[in-house]
Amino acid sequence: MGMKDHADELARRRAKARQMGGDDAVARQHAAGKLTARERIDRLFDKDTFTEIGIHATHAGIAPDLAGRDTPADGVITGFGKVDGRLASVIAYDFTVMAGSMGRNAETKCNRAREIAYTKRVPMIWLIDSAGARIQEAIGSRWFAGSGVLFREESVFSGVVPQVAAMMGPGAAGTAYIPALADFVPMVKGTSNMALGGPPLVKAVVGEDITAEELGGSKIHTEISGVADLEVDDDEHCLRVIKEYLSYFPSHNQEPPPVIACDDPVDRRDDELLTMMPDSPRRAYDVKKVIRALVDHGRMLELKPGWAKNIVTALARLDGHPVGVVANQPMVLGGALDLDSADKAARFIMLCDAFGIPLVFLQDVPGFMVGRKVERAGIIRHGAKMLYAVSEATVPKLTVVMRKAYGAGYFVMCGRAYEPDLIVAWPTAEISVMGPEGGTNIVYRKEIAAAANPDEERARRVEDFRKLISPYIAAGAALIDDVIDPRDTRPTLIRALEMARTKRVDRPWRKHGVMPV
Amino acid sequence: MSEEIKAHITGVVFQIPTKKGDKVGAGDPVIVLESMKMEIPVEAPRAGVVREIRVQEGQTVQEGDTVAVLD
Repeated sequence: MGMKDHADELARRRAKARQMGGDDAVARQHAAGKLTARERIDRLFDKDTFTEIGIHATHAGIAPDLAGRDTPADGVITGFGKVDGRLASVIAYDFTVMAGSMGRNAETKCNRAREIAYTKRVPMIWLIDSAGARIQEAIGSRWFAGSGVLFREESVFSGVVPQVAAMMGPGAAGTAYIPALADFVPMVKGTSNMALGGPPLVKAVVGEDITAEELGGSKIHTEISGVADLEVDDDEHCLRVIKEYLSYFPSHNQEPPPVIACDDPVDRRDDELLTMMPDSPRRAYDVKKVIRALVDHGRMLELKPGWAKNIVTALARLDGHPVGVVANQPMVLGGALDLDSADKAARFIMLCDAFGIPLVFLQDVPGFMVGRKVERAGIIRHGAKMLYAVSEATVPKLTVVMRKAYGAGYFVMCGRAYEPDLIVAWPTAEISVMGPEGGTNIVYRKEIAAAANPDEERARRVEDFRKLISPYIAAGAALIDDVIDPRDTRPTLIRALEMARTKRVDRPWRKHGVMPV
Repeated sequence: MSEEIKAHITGVVFQIPTKKGDKVGAGDPVIVLESMKMEIPVEAPRAGVVREIRVQEGQTVQEGDTVAVLD
C-alpha cells in the first residue's frame, strides 16, 4: 500500500468521524432545536482557525454491548482555535454519539484540551450536551477510583484562565459539576438542563417524579438556584454571548483585560441623571438606567440578571476599558441585601478581581435584611462573603454613593475603609450606621416617650438626625473625596480609572485566607 | 381562576392603592409595604381584577403572607 493509499484511508476515516452519530442522529439533534457539536464549533471560532485533536478516538472497547459499534470522535469534539482573534481551547460534547456520554477515551481527549488551556494560559470553553458519565465504561471501581481529575484541575486553574461552561443540552452528574466550577454559565432555554441526578435517578433514589426541565431547566438555574448566569434563546445566541463575555477578559490572569477604541465621549454628561432618582428617599427607581447612562454606549453584559435581582452585577466599559459594575437595585426589596444578593455580589467581585477588571460600586443600600427568617438562613455568614470579597479585591475600586449607604451595606459596597481608589457621593447621599427613623427611635427613645407630643418630638428629632447624614458632613471630615453632580459621574469615574491603573497592593504572605462560605 | 398575591418581604402595610373590584395590569402595585426604610410595592403578577384585599394599613405582614387575591 503506497502513501497515496494511506492518505486516502486517512481521509476516509476523518470524513466518517465528521459525520458524528450519523444522519438520523444529526436530524434528531436539529429537530430538538439544537446545532451539532461541529456546527457550534464552526460558529464559535473565527473562520478556518479551529484545529481538532483526537478525531480518531473511539470507545475504550471494554463494554460488551459496545463491541463492533463505532463512536465517532468518542462523542466529544476537542481542539483549539481563535475567538475574535484570541486562542481558546474547547470541549464540545456530541449528543449524537452515545448521548455525548463521558467515555474513557473521550475523557482522555478532554484532559488534553484542558492541558492546552491550562499550560498555554488561554480560556477553556465547554459546550455541554451530555448524558453524563458513560456508565458502561465507568462501572466498577478499577477505573472510577482514579477518575475526577477534571474537577480538581478546573478548581486549580480557577482565576488563572477564564472558564466558560455553556449548557446547550443536558448535563447530569459529572457534566453538572463542570459548570458549577466554571466562571460563566449560559443556559439555552428549552433544551438545556443540569442536575446532579437526572429524573430516572431521582425516581429510583428518592422516589420523586419530576421532569428534567422542572428539576434543572434554565428557568430553575437562572431564577431560583443561581447556578447559571444567563438564559439564552437558542444555540446561536449562546455562542454570541460566550464571545461577548470573553471580550471583557484577558486570556489569563497575568495579562491586562482587553481595551477597545471608544468613541463615546469620556466627558459625556447625561442630563437624565438629574431626574432618574425620585425626590422621596423612600421611593425606588431602576438602577440599570443609571448604569446605562454612565458606561460606554449604554452597553453592559449583566450576569445573573434573573436571580437576586436586588443587586445588579454587570460587565461594561468605561473609555474602552472593561469594568465590573456592582449596583444596588432599589426596585427589588428596596435594594436591601439578603443572602442570595450577597453571594451573587461576592462571586462577581472575586471574578473581576481574579482577572484584573476594575470594580465600580454604585451604592443605594438601606442595609442588610433583618428578621427571623434571614438570621436562621445565616445572613451573617452570607453577608461576610461580601465583606471578605471586597476586602480581598486589589483591583482598582471606585465607589459612588448615590443615595442610601447604611450600616454594613456601606461597607460591603466598598465604603471608605475598603480601599476605594476614589469614593464620591451625589448630593442625595445618606451615609450612616442607621437610617434617621430607626436611629431616632433608639437614641431618643426616652425623650420621645417623655414629650408632651411624642409624634411631633419624633419628627423633629428625625429631621435633626437627617442633617447629620448629609454627604457634606462626611466630605467635611475628608472621608468622602468629593460630592459630585450626578452628571459628572462618567467623567469622574473615567479619570479615576486612569489614575488607578498603576495601583499596586501587596498583601501579607499566607497560603490562603479562610473564606466564610 | 383566582391567584393569591403574597408579600415577598416582611414589613408594614404602608398604603393600599387598590380596592376590591379594581382592574390591575401585570406589575401594578396592589399594596405598598414599608420595609427597610423603603416603600416596596407588592405587584400584581398578571393582569386581573382585585377580588379581595386581606390586609389593612399599618398591619405587619410576614414574607409569604397573602395580602390580596386576584381574579
